[in-house]
Amino acid sequence: MLGFLTARQAGLDDPLRLRRAESTRRVLSLKLNPDRDVDRVHGNGINTIDIETIEGRYMLSGGADGVIVIYDLENYSRKLQYSCKALCTVGRSNRHVHKFSVETVQWYPYDTGMFVSSSFDKTMKVWDTDTLKPADVFEFEGNVYSHHLSPIARKHSLIAVGTTNPKIQLCDLKSGSRIHVLQGHRAEVLSVRWSPRYEHILATASADSKVKVWDVRRASGSLFTLDQHNGEKSKASSETVNTAHNGRVNGLCFTLDGLYLLTTGTDDRMRLWNSASGENTLVNYGKVCNESRKKLQFSVSRGCSPEFVFVPCGSSVAVYALHTGELVTMLRGHYNNVDCCEFHPDYQELYSGGKDSNILAWVPVLRTPDIEEESNHENKGAAGLSAVNPAFQDAWSSDED
Amino acid sequence: MNRKRALVSDTFNLKKRRNGTEKFGAVSNKDGPADIKSTMEYLMTLFPRKLFNDALPQIVLKHQLYSIHNDKTLVDKEVSKLRESGELLMFQLGFDAEAFGLLFTSDYKAKVLAGEEGKATRAVVEKFLEKVVSSCTDLSFSKDKMLREFLFTDSEITQLVKSGVLTVRDAGSWWLSIPNSGKFTKYFIQGRKAVLGMVKKSKYSEALQADLEERRTTSQVKFPMKYLIHDIVGAELVESIPTTSGTLLRFVDS
Repeated sequence: MLGFLTARQAGLDDPLRLRRAESTRRVLSLKLNPDRDVDRVHGNGINTIDIETIEGRYMLSGGADGVIVIYDLENYSRKLQYSCKALCTVGRSNRHVHKFSVETVQWYPYDTGMFVSSSFDKTMKVWDTDTLKPADVFEFEGNVYSHHLSPIARKHSLIAVGTTNPKIQLCDLKSGSRIHVLQGHRAEVLSVRWSPRYEHILATASADSKVKVWDVRRASGSLFTLDQHNGEKSKASSETVNTAHNGRVNGLCFTLDGLYLLTTGTDDRMRLWNSASGENTLVNYGKVCNESRKKLQFSVSRGCSPEFVFVPCGSSVAVYALHTGELVTMLRGHYNNVDCCEFHPDYQELYSGGKDSNILAWVPVLRTPDIEEESNHENKGAAGLSAVNPAFQDAWSSDED
Repeated sequence: MNRKRALVSDTFNLKKRRNGTEKFGAVSNKDGPADIKSTMEYLMTLFPRKLFNDALPQIVLKHQLYSIHNDKTLVDKEVSKLRESGELLMFQLGFDAEAFGLLFTSDYKAKVLAGEEGKATRAVVEKFLEKVVSSCTDLSFSKDKMLREFLFTDSEITQLVKSGVLTVRDAGSWWLSIPNSGKFTKYFIQGRKAVLGMVKKSKYSEALQADLEERRTTSQVKFPMKYLIHDIVGAELVESIPTTSGTLLRFVDS
């Protein structure tokens, strides 16, 4: 580490190198921290979380009971021990709350005044954050598994929606119309994702084992379908179709630069694809346990070298190196299945939510500064600087013994 | 100060090394460049040749290599390199979509020709081995490929299927296969089930690998213990956990 700092000081290294080295070091030391937790508001499992991209301060979470909660992740109190407060909730008492479980929530990419949530009650609601009332409601014929707004779109404001219907609907935020439909899948669409590199490219994953990449400006069908054998017909057990997985494909994630796409499927495999050519890069991650019948939300780190993938695997979160496929570590802490995880790029923290209705914050462990013996006695009152959580201080022993 | 450009990932050695190089208990292979060929030769020594009366060439499964080398992607790359150079042949074994068998090409050719001694199909098989196996690295062949590229007639294809070199996949396409491998598949599946059952029946569904290797299998199981253990570890049917008393294998419920 000191080598990197000296090289940066002397100008031998690019400033980005030090930043990447420090980010990687922090991600490699992710642990559960007793000083940081998230307010427990949900009564049932948490299906989805989203951190806004503008400031990285507010987090949305959607639960299996239809409740949506907004948390403040920033720690402005001077204390080390911080619990992310739930600022406001769309609870069961709200008139407009979803009737069944909320499957996807996403902040409007440009400001936190608006967010969109979709649920198994076959609706997608566009909420106004200040009043917590829906500004618009889109109704569908089947359960809505997933929706996504493009994070970089300037020329359009389309929301791609994946439902039990094999056709993908594109809803326009500005006009409220939903006439644009993408046809091609044969079974329910479990996950949709816009590319973070090109605002017109959309990737969709379906229960018919296929992943299709679309350009929404094109009138005819998809650009290409991902093929796990890269055209080598000999390895497939049946000659006819190009499948991305040997089971339902339920998770999609682009890397930050949009050059690679990761997919997970119920055949317990995760694959990395070149998003421009659709070629399987054949990185072997081994068995990535996946039993989810709905979509799986996983995320990729940003600004590290090498990049890491955080995938929920049963009741823990597995961390893999993106391009080599080796398992770096398993983050264990949840009591039940983990459904979603989201990486906070600015602080290299990971938030994961699961069926045990907890959101856990995985924070990089840094070396605590040495507290000198003498000053410790004098500053006993300044509990803020000590690293002891008030819950762990013993209240029964006294110093007089 | 090291002026050479080093990768950021090298600084943070992703393989967490413990303090000191001695490891009591869990002995793992962390060799530098993965020597796949020598690993394969080691695994082939575990294959029981006498069981099949020397009629079968020694078969190793691709996922057995994963149990020895940590980096799966590297193993995959090496295997495809060896396949491209023509030293290795890969076969779809049929009982599992992901189970691929690996053979040395020289072994395969020798055994197949030895098996064809005195049979009428010998000439066709020889022609097949020379033309197809030497040049093409596919796992399966479709009808028009056989007819057009390799100029085999229908009757010749029937003879190849009869001799066991091709197995029917669906109407108009065939898998490349190993003659007399039915016995292998049967004993293999039996052996895998038996070893998995042994692990499952143990207390807490886990057993130390060293302990498992010592156990005697029933007379039904023809394969040596080590071969089957490499198989279940590589196929991730059991979780391999390093402990202070050695590697622990825990049954994975899936």
